Amino acid sequence: MDARDSRRNQAMTEPNPDPQTNPQIGSETAGPTISVAAAESGRGRRPRAATGTVELQGLSAYYGSNHAVRGVDLSFDAEEVTAIIGPSGCGKSTMVRCINRMHEEVEGARAEGKVLLDGLDLYDPRIDIVAVRRAVGMVFQKPNPFPTMSVFDNVVSGLRLTGAARGEMDDRGREALVGAGLWDEVKDRLKSPGVGLSGGQQQRLCIARALAVEPEVLLMDEPCSALDPVATLKIEELIGELKERVTIVIVTHNMQQAARVADTTVFMLGGALVEVGPTDKLFTTPDDERTEQYVTGKFG
Amino acid sequence: MATTMRTQYREELERLEASALDGLNLVNTALERTLEAIEHTDVELAQIVVADDDRIDGRYLEVHQSLITLLATQSPVATDLRLISALLHVLKNVERMGDQCVNICKLLPLTGNEPPADDRMVELILAMGKQTRTLIAQAKRAFAERDVEQARDLVKQDDLVDDLNRQCFRLALEIGEDIDRREWSMTMLLAARAIERIADNAVDIGEQVAFVVTGLFREFEDASHPTP
Repeated sequence: MDARDSRRNQAMTEPNPDPQTNPQIGSETAGPTISVAAAESGRGRRPRAATGTVELQGLSAYYGSNHAVRGVDLSFDAEEVTAIIGPSGCGKSTMVRCINRMHEEVEGARAEGKVLLDGLDLYDPRIDIVAVRRAVGMVFQKPNPFPTMSVFDNVVSGLRLTGAARGEMDDRGREALVGAGLWDEVKDRLKSPGVGLSGGQQQRLCIARALAVEPEVLLMDEPCSALDPVATLKIEELIGELKERVTIVIVTHNMQQAARVADTTVFMLGGALVEVGPTDKLFTTPDDERTEQYVTGKFG
Repeated sequence: MATTMRTQYREELERLEASALDGLNLVNTALERTLEAIEHTDVELAQIVVADDDRIDGRYLEVHQSLITLLATQSPVATDLRLISALLHVLKNVERMGDQCVNICKLLPLTGNEPPADDRMVELILAMGKQTRTLIAQAKRAFAERDVEQARDLVKQDDLVDDLNRQCFRLALEIGEDIDRREWSMTMLLAARAIERIADNAVDIGEQVAFVVTGLFREFEDASHPTP
């Protein structure tokens, strides 16, 4: 197993069944915990193919009395890109924000049901929410680099919180920039402000920032909607490369983008799943009439 | 389901379908004239058919280009994508059917002004042509109505054409010793073969109907693996 694989497991992974290496298991007081320490002790032990599977079980999300996501059962497989499509207000972003528990940050918002990451319930009250966010990274519609930070500091900002050593930060920051396809473009201006980059570069910087903490899952909410076609293509190519490292869930209004990047596509309507299937199937012979109507642009 | 969207795109797609299917009307007219030219050994009418094929080719080019533009600009998916793919096939079939009429009409001057025709064979060829014109009309209707049953029935209708073609062949074998008569019958066999191919093209269009409706492409009959 290479260094990258073992590092994947640092932030958090599934419960380690080996009591020799995982003090959490077998302890009556400790629940399932996402902690760097626990994962550190088990590093290098797990087959990487098993990590990064997300399963939603009966997931509902509310904004006050508004039932935005309605009892969704769905899984996102490791090493796959899943695209969520659907008209505005269908609950796709809300559903995705439940995966890293961002949804509950909105006042009056709450979620019900289960979100399992490699079998671990992320809504278990004993779970550390910071670790959830580290394990499930997110990239937003508009690039949002920290305005006062340099390119490099942006990338390693998450790592700093973990107390990583300087040498390790340098290595992983560089690796994240390479992974995000940005290294060659910024290697000579690592100390310049992150906001000085172009829009497409800033978005890849945000991807690098998310990758630096070695997440299991990367959520992308309309990551290209503010970018030009060339920058968009770069991100799309990057998605294809990254899926071997992280499970990718992408929310997009751009159906061609879903068709280009996703292995599986999910169509939502009114907070519920309408159709889930291989992307080529969904865009050539959808089973559900509503999917047909939406993808052909007959409504939306 | 809210408002209807992409009105111009939908209208354009409908217009192109109508235009492609109207190509089958052009073919039916060409075949009708071809048959008349055979019946009356009308070389002039045959020349008109040859010249008029430009209209069919023009239709092919025009609709084909517009469909490619729709693919490039509208990114059609699902049923729309299947429809456009099917229409591209239909256009190719239409163009080939027109070419077969041209092939027949180019043969006719070779038979001379007063060929040693065999009435029975002419009757068979005219019957083939009539049946093929029925197939063409049925293929067009099946496509326009997305009627898979009607499309599948084309295979049965095509069997009648094939049967008449075999009868032509047997008749040619028994045509006798006269060299001119034998030459004429060989030419007529080529004409019969061309009509038989036109009917096959109509069946191919039927297969595209099934593709548009079901999303699955299956040959109705596989010539390389015929069912016993």
